[in-house]
Amino acid sequence: MIIMKKNDPTLGEKTKIIFMKIPTKAYIVITILIAILYPLLIMYGTAGQLWLRLAVRTEILVLLALGLNLIIGDTGLLNLGYAAFFAVGAYLTAIFASPRFGFDLPFWILFLASGVTAGFFGFLVGLPTLKLRGDYLAIVTLALGESTRLTLNNWDYLTNGPGGIPGIYHPSFFGYPIDSYVKFYYLTLIIILISIVVLNNLKNSKLGRSLNAMRENEIAAECMGIDTTKAKILSFVISSVFAGLAGSIFASFQTFINPTNFVFMISTMIVCMVVLGGMGSIPGVIVGAIVLDTLPEIIRQTFSVWLPSVFGSDFYANWPHILKDLFINFDRYRMLFFGILIVLVILLKPEGLIPNKRRQKELRETDPREISESEKTLFDVEEGKMDVKV
Amino acid sequence: MKILRVENLTKRFGGLYAVNNLSFSLKKGEILSIIGPNGSGKTTLFNLITGIYPPTEGKIFLKDDDITGLRPDKIAHKGIKRTFQTLRVFPNMTILENVLVGMHPIIEENIFNSIFHPPIMKRQQKEATEKAISILSFFGTRLTGTRLHHPANSLSYANRRRLEICRALASDPKVLLLDEPAAGMNPKESLEIMDQIKQIRDKGYSIILIEHDMKVVKGASNRVIALDYGEKIAEGTPKEVSEHPRVIEAYLGKKVAKNA
Repeated sequence: MIIMKKNDPTLGEKTKIIFMKIPTKAYIVITILIAILYPLLIMYGTAGQLWLRLAVRTEILVLLALGLNLIIGDTGLLNLGYAAFFAVGAYLTAIFASPRFGFDLPFWILFLASGVTAGFFGFLVGLPTLKLRGDYLAIVTLALGESTRLTLNNWDYLTNGPGGIPGIYHPSFFGYPIDSYVKFYYLTLIIILISIVVLNNLKNSKLGRSLNAMRENEIAAECMGIDTTKAKILSFVISSVFAGLAGSIFASFQTFINPTNFVFMISTMIVCMVVLGGMGSIPGVIVGAIVLDTLPEIIRQTFSVWLPSVFGSDFYANWPHILKDLFINFDRYRMLFFGILIVLVILLKPEGLIPNKRRQKELRETDPREISESEKTLFDVEEGKMDVKV
Repeated sequence: MKILRVENLTKRFGGLYAVNNLSFSLKKGEILSIIGPNGSGKTTLFNLITGIYPPTEGKIFLKDDDITGLRPDKIAHKGIKRTFQTLRVFPNMTILENVLVGMHPIIEENIFNSIFHPPIMKRQQKEATEKAISILSFFGTRLTGTRLHHPANSLSYANRRRLEICRALASDPKVLLLDEPAAGMNPKESLEIMDQIKQIRDKGYSIILIEHDMKVVKGASNRVIALDYGEKIAEGTPKEVSEHPRVIEAYLGKKVAKNA
């Protein structure tokens, strides 16, 4: 509703400008400040450590969501096997920076190599599949995600199967080790900020516009001189690179990975983050990832730790069993929570939490002059046709 | 000078001849109108020229360059651009972006530039934006001003048609194909678009026009080709074609033709 007010033609120009200008710059600055100051939590001891650990996990998911947004939001293709590219990056880093084969390559090389390898994997997969559209592509990518996981699960020699790869080294930059949650937090934050700049540049470039045009109308895009196959593969590759980079950080952060880290649920989660936050909108996708990853944890902490500590440990004594279970073991009901959240968003805010500006306009705003003009035209067409004489 | 040459072009869908053994050519700087009843193969002809369908038989030449069977994006790069009868603007992109997409064949940009935006690209983008605005201002203030950053789906049908013309013009095409540019416009607007199409021609563009509004056809075109069932039934000046018995027959049927 606020949005409608913003575009109310009766408001003066000045009011409009105030409404328009505050969000973009101020919000970016405030968000970055909060992100930089967040590790001060560490002062709160173990609880702070827990929240920092969670924050790094969220950051990795933000990176994944940003990458997937390029395919889903900007190009309009559905990729349900995104975890496969995440896995490729993670396993590459794990194999070359762990005692498994005795390699210990520098992190920054592995980080870049993970991105490149995942991108190449994306290229190999995209080449034959990107001629498919819509549902068909979704099914193929879904199968790809599962078959990648199964391969990792069964290729004992390389990946040690379900046992996973333990003892992955923490990264270090020229002798400076990244070995605490705070350091990981800032490392990932820097990577995210660079990614946002890159993705934002991409959006305002020829390539970004071709991707959007393809999403909007493929035939028209082709007739405007866009090589759609090439553009699709490029977007698939770039998005896979992001997954590979995220996987590399993930592996060195966790120090242990196994195939259960890359199940279909992860792909689904990332898709949910993109849809929930707002397809095609960078801030939206970031918010989507943060909400979906931290909200369950906040709810769980609230009900299992904070409330009992405030109201005494017998706070839940008189509650019905099912509610007690729901609040104390919220993790088990995570999926139910996701489902309800997604349904609510689709019903109430189909364009996402922070929508892409254009899509928002499509859903909320029409120029009143245009309405009257189109009505007039529709009426006149009827008369106009009568003139046709041969 | 002949800029576009179509030789014995045929397109079959199963047993149906959508375009049948059609030959014609377009001179530089003229407006050639294609008329014909619904289903006579006009839009199919455009789809063949722009590469959306490969022709069953026949050849298409742009100047002396054989473009038969090329992909649509290659043909756009060679310099043939079109508008669509069923509007195909990019609805969620802004008006400016629509035209910038149309400019693709003439924007030089590699992936490195797309990602890192070096200063040289900023200048390029500024130039491209300025050019886009100057193209859009061809239609007065209808597509410029504050509307520049509105999504294309906020436009009326008539303005979407104008936007499609701008988008097609953006890359300075050698041949411009207009598929019913006056559809959905009122009589006054039709006359206006007719004048504007003539102005576009006078700038040196060569245009093929599909149009049902005979006022526009008569007013704008240098030559007219009439199609029926995918075959050429008449060719000549607008007056010759509109008086041609086969054209009258195709539109109104035989009996009426006798009485006429």
